[in-house]
Amino acid sequence: MPGNKRNDTRLLFMENIVKRFNQVTALDGVDFEVKPKQVMALLGDNGAGKSTLIKILTGVYPLTSGQIYFEGRSVEIRNPQDARGLGIETVYQDLALVNSMSIGRNFFLGREPTSRFGPVRWLDMRTIARQTRVSLADIGIKIRSAREKVGKLSGGERQSIAIGRAVHFGVKLLILDEPTSALSVAESRKVLEYTQNAKAQGLSVIFITHNIHHVMQVADCYTIIRHGKQVGTYNKEEVSLDDISDLITGERLS
Amino acid sequence: MSHKKKIRSLLDDSPTIPPLITLTAGLVLFSLFVPKFATMRTVSGFMNAASINAIVVIGVTLLMIVGEFDLSVGAIVAMGGYIFAKIILKGGSPVVAIGLALFVTAVLGSINGIITIWTRIPSFVVTLGNRSIYRAAVWLYSGGMMLQTTEESPVYDFFSGRLDVMNDLFNRANFRTTIVWAILLGLILQFLLTRTRFGNHVFAIGGNPQAALEQGVNTKLVKLLCFILTGIMAGLAGIMTFSQFSTVFVATGTGIELTAIASAITGGALLTGGIGSIIGGLVGILLINMLRTGVVLGGFPSDNFEAIVGIAIIGAAILNERLRSRS
Repeated sequence: MPGNKRNDTRLLFMENIVKRFNQVTALDGVDFEVKPKQVMALLGDNGAGKSTLIKILTGVYPLTSGQIYFEGRSVEIRNPQDARGLGIETVYQDLALVNSMSIGRNFFLGREPTSRFGPVRWLDMRTIARQTRVSLADIGIKIRSAREKVGKLSGGERQSIAIGRAVHFGVKLLILDEPTSALSVAESRKVLEYTQNAKAQGLSVIFITHNIHHVMQVADCYTIIRHGKQVGTYNKEEVSLDDISDLITGERLS
Repeated sequence: MSHKKKIRSLLDDSPTIPPLITLTAGLVLFSLFVPKFATMRTVSGFMNAASINAIVVIGVTLLMIVGEFDLSVGAIVAMGGYIFAKIILKGGSPVVAIGLALFVTAVLGSINGIITIWTRIPSFVVTLGNRSIYRAAVWLYSGGMMLQTTEESPVYDFFSGRLDVMNDLFNRANFRTTIVWAILLGLILQFLLTRTRFGNHVFAIGGNPQAALEQGVNTKLVKLLCFILTGIMAGLAGIMTFSQFSTVFVATGTGIELTAIASAITGGALLTGGIGSIIGGLVGILLINMLRTGVVLGGFPSDNFEAIVGIAIIGAAILNERLRSRS
């Protein structure tokens, strides 16, 4: 199996992960690693186990057995707050955005900056508007106004707001769950651009998809999962697109 | 930004504007076609009539924005009124009377919230049940007896006295302090809603509870606070009712729950939560009271005037929806 598993420089290392739901084994001893400033594509057909693996990493499911290392330390991730505390942020397909609220209010939801006078505290709307615009511009997202409602944006724009928010709030590892599956070609290209910009800012990204064509532009590495087992991890240069497609579907064995 | 776009974005940002337009249109129409409508006496009259209900509307609107209902507010109004009246009439301290009335009504609100949040039964159902239970509690507490007084007191004047500053200004006007309380509390709650973290969380929970939760908002606590605030507002309305009419009985506040929801919707709130405005709710209750007055003064048969109010509520809601979806 290619890839140096004992490399100390990796950001995340999930070792021999096993997950059973009652009698069903969803993951059967999977190894998965992400290096700093790396875009790792996690590939697999529907039901291969990639979602299960990510939900273990983000604290949604407890693991049956195995070990997770983050920044070289062994960690326990029991709930989504633990994952967030480590600097692991997920942009799910639902994006966690409130359509009826403005971009700025969504951006800072749950972490709103305030001004105060005595005991009275109120939202610092100026900081919200300015900081939202600046942070989104940093990863290449241009917005017309931070006061615009999220519900008026296109799918790709909404995706970009969710990514920009995750990047802004000090994330080390950004997980994108099928971010382009519902988008047009032009919008997908934009999301890939943001992914690259996020990497340029020093983040690592896990890009989950079942379609290699969605991710080939930005991925440095591919990890392929099939039937709950890791098929392999490959550097970009090592394999052709056809190889990858065949490995995902199992038409060719590693 | 073009002129048209500016207007649209303004409409979009502020759900208060469509009902404000409806209110203005109504005022102009009634003034033109209904004799005696455009007098300070009439205007102050329907403002007074709206003001005590407006206190309830403030709470109910807040609750609707967070995505919940309270159908028990009518009974809570009666409970607040009784506790206040009983203590005062026994010669107790007004501070104790007010404090206890607001405390008990806050507890009634929190019971609505706790059951809703922890059982996940829709608040519409929970408060429909508590509406009857609270009314029974009022009956038990009061023994079914009406309380009334002929005495005057500065406490009553504080909540519902003549607003002489305004009345001296306008001949034959009869403004009361309840109007000041409604406007003051409306502004405070509007500030809380649009300019604080709490308010931001209220809108987020009403708009997309899952997203709010994922972004770390304490959705249960925020919802509970909204239920408690609604209870306190209803209790305050009960205190004001006794202060104004010198009487409270078991059926006090009956029907206010639906009027309050109608006002919130007329004022731009969505039944599904996430959108709405406190000031809009106040405009809504004012609109409803203006219509009642205008229709009666306009000589409609008094048995049927409620139907015209009903048509107007639906009309206003349609207009709001049109204006909103266009923007």
